[in-house]
Amino acid sequence: MTTFRSRILESINNESLQTALDNNTERRLKGRAVAFESIPDWRERIKRAHAVRADVIEHLDEYLAKFIAKNEENGVIVHRAKDAAEAIQIVLKITDSNRFASRRWSETDDRSRRTPLLIAKSKSMVSEEISLNHALEKEGINVVETALGEYIVQLRHERPSHIITPAAHLKKEQVAELFREKLGIPYTTDIPTLTATARKILREVFLTADIGLSGVNFGVAETGAVCIITNEGNGRMVATLPPVHIALMGMERIVPNLNDLALMLSLLPRSATGQKLTVYTQLLHTPLPSTTLRKNQTRHLIILDNGRSRLRNSPLKESLYCIRCGACLNACPVFRELGGHAYIGSDLSIAPYPGPIGSVISPGLLGENYVHLAQASSLCGACKDACPVDIDLPKLLTRVRAGQSPHPQPLSQRARGEGAGLSPLTKFFLRMYTRVATHPGLFVASQKFAALGTFLFAPFSQWIRLPAFTGWGYSKDFPRFAGKPFRERRKSKKVDKETGRQSGRFEGGQVETLADKKTEDFADSASRFINELTALNGHVHQTHNATKDIVEFLKQRGVSKIHLEPNTLDENLLREANIEIANAPDPQIIVGATKAICGLADTGSVLIADGEGSPLEASLLPEIHIAVLKSSDILPSLKDAMALVKGRNVVFITGPSRTADIEMTLTIGVHGPKEIHVFLT
Amino acid sequence: MYGLISMVGCVSGLKWTHMTTVQLFVTCLVDSFFPQTGEAVVDILSRLGISVNFPPDQTCCGQPQFNAGLRKDARAVAEHTIRVFEKTTGDIITPSGSCAHHFRHNYPELFEGDSAWLPRAKSLASRTYEFTEYLVDKLNVTDLGATWDGLLTYHPSCHTLRGINVDRQPRALLQNIKGATLVDLPHAEECCGFGGVMSIEHPELSAEWLKRKISNLEATNSPTLVVTDAGCLMHIAGGLHRNNKSQRVMHIAEILHNT
Repeated sequence: MTTFRSRILESINNESLQTALDNNTERRLKGRAVAFESIPDWRERIKRAHAVRADVIEHLDEYLAKFIAKNEENGVIVHRAKDAAEAIQIVLKITDSNRFASRRWSETDDRSRRTPLLIAKSKSMVSEEISLNHALEKEGINVVETALGEYIVQLRHERPSHIITPAAHLKKEQVAELFREKLGIPYTTDIPTLTATARKILREVFLTADIGLSGVNFGVAETGAVCIITNEGNGRMVATLPPVHIALMGMERIVPNLNDLALMLSLLPRSATGQKLTVYTQLLHTPLPSTTLRKNQTRHLIILDNGRSRLRNSPLKESLYCIRCGACLNACPVFRELGGHAYIGSDLSIAPYPGPIGSVISPGLLGENYVHLAQASSLCGACKDACPVDIDLPKLLTRVRAGQSPHPQPLSQRARGEGAGLSPLTKFFLRMYTRVATHPGLFVASQKFAALGTFLFAPFSQWIRLPAFTGWGYSKDFPRFAGKPFRERRKSKKVDKETGRQSGRFEGGQVETLADKKTEDFADSASRFINELTALNGHVHQTHNATKDIVEFLKQRGVSKIHLEPNTLDENLLREANIEIANAPDPQIIVGATKAICGLADTGSVLIADGEGSPLEASLLPEIHIAVLKSSDILPSLKDAMALVKGRNVVFITGPSRTADIEMTLTIGVHGPKEIHVFLT
Repeated sequence: MYGLISMVGCVSGLKWTHMTTVQLFVTCLVDSFFPQTGEAVVDILSRLGISVNFPPDQTCCGQPQFNAGLRKDARAVAEHTIRVFEKTTGDIITPSGSCAHHFRHNYPELFEGDSAWLPRAKSLASRTYEFTEYLVDKLNVTDLGATWDGLLTYHPSCHTLRGINVDRQPRALLQNIKGATLVDLPHAEECCGFGGVMSIEHPELSAEWLKRKISNLEATNSPTLVVTDAGCLMHIAGGLHRNNKSQRVMHIAEILHNT
């Protein structure tokens, strides 16, 4: 594929891209390795996760039926889309019916005064797959990407270059220049300043958007829960603040129950970003009740097929096990050279999914246009090794090459059948070699012929300098065929073989013994909780009187008004200290205080559930979030908390809002609170 | 001859009282380009009292065709190889993790659903061992009495490391070479960029990885890189030669053969 090859060269010669990609690879691989150390049974977990995903894909229809029924029971409006066009139509219909119902519209509005409908969008790979933004913009709808990396690539009119870190290909200087040009701020390469700028602009978007649109990480069949995880908090904003939330999910993204979800969540963030848990792990069951910021929420769930059923009935079925962590991208030496933008189709369009999984599912979902991508792999297996659900990606790549990917459209000559995407010359030589390799006589004759040929070509060297166009000669020399191949030398040695060298001495049985790894002695759960949260830039205050200490804290910060979840603190004491109490969300308030239903010792997380006084908003909108947690409510890990979340709208919060979208530099406080203070009683 | 072998057997505590015969699948690359590797394998095994048979009709395992997606061709070559080795008995030893991986994992894939050929393919796979895997896991040998003067560094070939999970075996064997200092190759687990036809189909990618592998090798100061696969060997050595570098790439069998 000449154009693909020229795009590869462009990437390789793009120095700043190469630096960014090297950086991505090295940091991500290291981060993943460190994160897996904290779960010594990770091999076992990966095996189980593979089995869970295999079971789901095997019985997908039943699980989906259960998931949909549960959602309808929960008051969610469920739509099914068989392809991209249908999904787009459904979104447009929802936007149409919400034009007048939205908070910025009234029936009496004069048509000429209408501002375009505003959609705040959290990252969704499915929306990239169906090119949703493009379709919505064509209808005059204003769609704003709110994940920092996505926002950056949207401003640049680009596609994301990585499924987890969309702006992985950019340096901070490029972002600085972009923000200067598009947002009118003075040029600065200070990443916290750039982040703060985006925070300010996007906060306005969240508060005024008519519709919030997000992807879905997992759907839980047993309870109907929609699980959305984000680090910055934008996934929470779009699913909480606007009056309408549209969740867009691929139909394969199901787990049977909450325990399986806990298992997946122990693997996904570790594989994706090296985190034990993503900062915000949301589980949404029902639409949210009305608040001062909006009336009752409507939630639409769009479940997309778009080739997945076809894929499920093909030899590439296993690719549907994918949980979109991006670990295979980070481990892949091809991705490390290319970045996400060089994976292009024969029509030059950028494949929606890059990397090893992309080279399987892009052709698998979207057809022959992307089939040649599967040839760009050495089948080194680093992807399979990195996969948290143990997808045999090298095997799937060879199946794409063997022409086994399902095809939605009629096939061209080139993509049809075996050797899909292979250059005709290579195919010709390999077919010739098949004849040689199935006829031993011919094989021997060819060896002799090749030995003579290569000798004549390079009589004075063991190596031949082939020209670059041969492929091999591009960067290395080719060895001369041995004058006497092994088989011939062996024949002539037959006699002295009997007297073969016996001088060797050996001591059998020296098999290595692995030193037993000392299992870490775990401190008690409270101190583990404190260690974990502190390591994430969270603050823990141990206290006997939470209200008293919080009053002290508020005074130090000069705060006189807080958004408080009822029955969390001694309100009389607060009033005495002249602290004004609000029980409803207000964007002006900078401190929100909530109860924590439980804490998680192994990740430093707190669980916040929706209820009276809008604790979801109290833990999201203010710059500082205070959570009051009882030491006795600290549980060992996520799976132990699953009994508490059934049927509720909850979020596990693991540290302050953060991002690493610009040059993978950790920056605190993107959309959610910049500080989290847990008062431990 | 027999007495000597029994003696060696006694000394080592091994339990053979008669000669074991194994079949050598030497691989097309070793056969055609690096015959000395094959000879080292034969020599080492004979030293351990094992008789090595070389079925002369063997050619290639068919992995190039398989990896390129030409399954019909790959099958034809695989059927030929199965037929050749079905005529023999005993374990099959191959000095290539990649070919062992192909037998073990790709043959069953190739003949999936074929009730006639699948059992034959699986039977071949179950008899096959990569050379160092055979020495360490089957013969329980980690010290071959080999000697070496100076630094050595090891590149774990992708299909040896991740394809058939063989890593501690070659490392244990190298650890026990007298006089050798084994140094770690930085980012050892990264592919060298051979990848069979990929190095021809996508030479630009292959070149980048090769560059990185060579600079990692240079960082070790080791003059010798040890591999378990002739594919990586010809690729890395070809790159070193093109760039006028002095380092050598050697198959582990040749290193272990040095006494």
